[in-house]
Amino acid sequence: MFFQQLINGLTTGSVYALIALGYTMIYGILGLINFAQGEIYMCGAFVAVLLLATGKVNFFLAFALGMAAAALLGVILERVAFRPLRGFHPLVPLISAIGASIFLQSLALLLFGPNDRPFPIQFTFSTINIAGLPVSTLQIAILGAALGFMGLLIVFVRYTTYGKAIMACALDRDTARLMGINVDRMVSLTFLVGSALSGAAGIMMAIYYNATYPRMGLLPGLKAFSAAILGGVGNIPGAILGGLLLGVAESLGAAYISSGFKDAIAFAILILVLLLRPQGILRGRGD
Amino acid sequence: MTAYVLHLAILAGIYIILTVSINLIIGYAGQVSLGHAAFYGIGAYASALVSLHWHFPFPAAALTAMLVAGLCGLALGLPTLRLKEDYLAIVTLGFGVIVDLVFLNLEFTGGPDGLPGIPPPSFWGIDFRPPWLYLILVVVTVILVLIFTYRLVDSYHGRALRAIRDHEITAQVMGINTPAYKVVVFTLAAALAGLAGSLYAHYITFINPETFGLHTSILILAMVVLGGMGSIAGSVLGAVILTILPEMLRQAHAYQELIYGGLLMLLLIWRPEGLLGRGKLSLKFLKRES
Repeated sequence: MFFQQLINGLTTGSVYALIALGYTMIYGILGLINFAQGEIYMCGAFVAVLLLATGKVNFFLAFALGMAAAALLGVILERVAFRPLRGFHPLVPLISAIGASIFLQSLALLLFGPNDRPFPIQFTFSTINIAGLPVSTLQIAILGAALGFMGLLIVFVRYTTYGKAIMACALDRDTARLMGINVDRMVSLTFLVGSALSGAAGIMMAIYYNATYPRMGLLPGLKAFSAAILGGVGNIPGAILGGLLLGVAESLGAAYISSGFKDAIAFAILILVLLLRPQGILRGRGD
Repeated sequence: MTAYVLHLAILAGIYIILTVSINLIIGYAGQVSLGHAAFYGIGAYASALVSLHWHFPFPAAALTAMLVAGLCGLALGLPTLRLKEDYLAIVTLGFGVIVDLVFLNLEFTGGPDGLPGIPPPSFWGIDFRPPWLYLILVVVTVILVLIFTYRLVDSYHGRALRAIRDHEITAQVMGINTPAYKVVVFTLAAALAGLAGSLYAHYITFINPETFGLHTSILILAMVVLGGMGSIAGSVLGAVILTILPEMLRQAHAYQELIYGGLLMLLLIWRPEGLLGRGKLSLKFLKRES
């Protein structure tokens, strides 16, 4: 029972971590919370599900296209809703992002209707035993894929020129500009990468819960933000740790405390973290 | 028809109180609350519960609503207002979700069915059941709230708040206790939202969690941004427009949220100061010198 909940928590937690990475990277470079991150997650899931429903696209292509669509949405959003507002009071882009989130959510509601869509293709997953404990291969696949994406992101940020340029912008935008880095392009690239990860997270959750619907991004988006704060906002390993911890806490809390308040656990943790250790577990740049 | 106009007028009055209260947080203290509907709901439930169980008269119930909502605002504001404005946005949003779940899951709040049979106000020998009398009650309350907020923002304390909004560090250097101001204004705004909740509960006489969800918080936010953050007259205008507009666009009901979301984004890009922003209380602070 405990072990099962732990695995459940790690699975959803790894998905929160993927979304949290998007938040943390964007916060790192712009000091802005992209409230529409949950809608980008929803967009990735919808594109993959709709493509697969046509029956003409194979799974991996649909997955890649879903991520690409999410990435594109992220880049467009930055251009339309955030870039014109740079240099304003921080409230202004924040409210604009909330507007974008509501707008995208209701647009999806109009286009796709309010009902859950099942995932169009069926996977055959079995339960295997690891050290005598039953684990679903679906959970292993999701956990593995999420960790794989995180590894890729860390390699990208640490060892590629563009990744280092993003880190430079996050450290000091003006100095980065003086070093010849095109800051605007790096901001776009950050949105591209962060949104692609959120898109991937959306597709994985669409498979895991077998449901895709317009409001699916709301709660995971908020929880992932809590995860980013828990780990220390602006800190990439922190976001991963925060996501996993939050997923486990939520799953154990739902099992042992109260399932009716499952969604409240993440926010209770968020408020506690802000109260006790506002810089997060691993020190972030937030405060 | 007249009944319908009266109904809209009463709702507009309630929204004016909500919009003016959140404007204190957004337009004056420069913070964001995305869970304002939670305080509205807490006020409504507190007022309904004390009237149903302990037969409080309306003025006492409304005061209880303000007190309870204000205390919740204090409890939430104390830990979070020391932090940057973005954190408050998320925490208040999360708080809204938690409060919604509490209303849904607790027994004494009636769960998803809510609380029916809330008594309409009746005090000083007047029964406020007829809508026009209720409208008078709402209008008097709105006027009192407006007088209070105008006096507040034009006082020494109002200037301190605006200083915090414009530049927090400078405000601190000038000797303003910025966390205390932010907490007090947040508590006040929560209490006013509680008052609005009480007015709503005793007017509709039935409440359930649905009314106090995220969409209401967003609606209030849209009202403030439409009228202009930091303009009280703008808040009144924004609240009235967004109460009446959806009624005129009944056929476009499905597009309501789309319109609110688009409105928030486009207004900020093209006219961040809102409709009345160029009035006396302008929002030049939005443009940061850099």
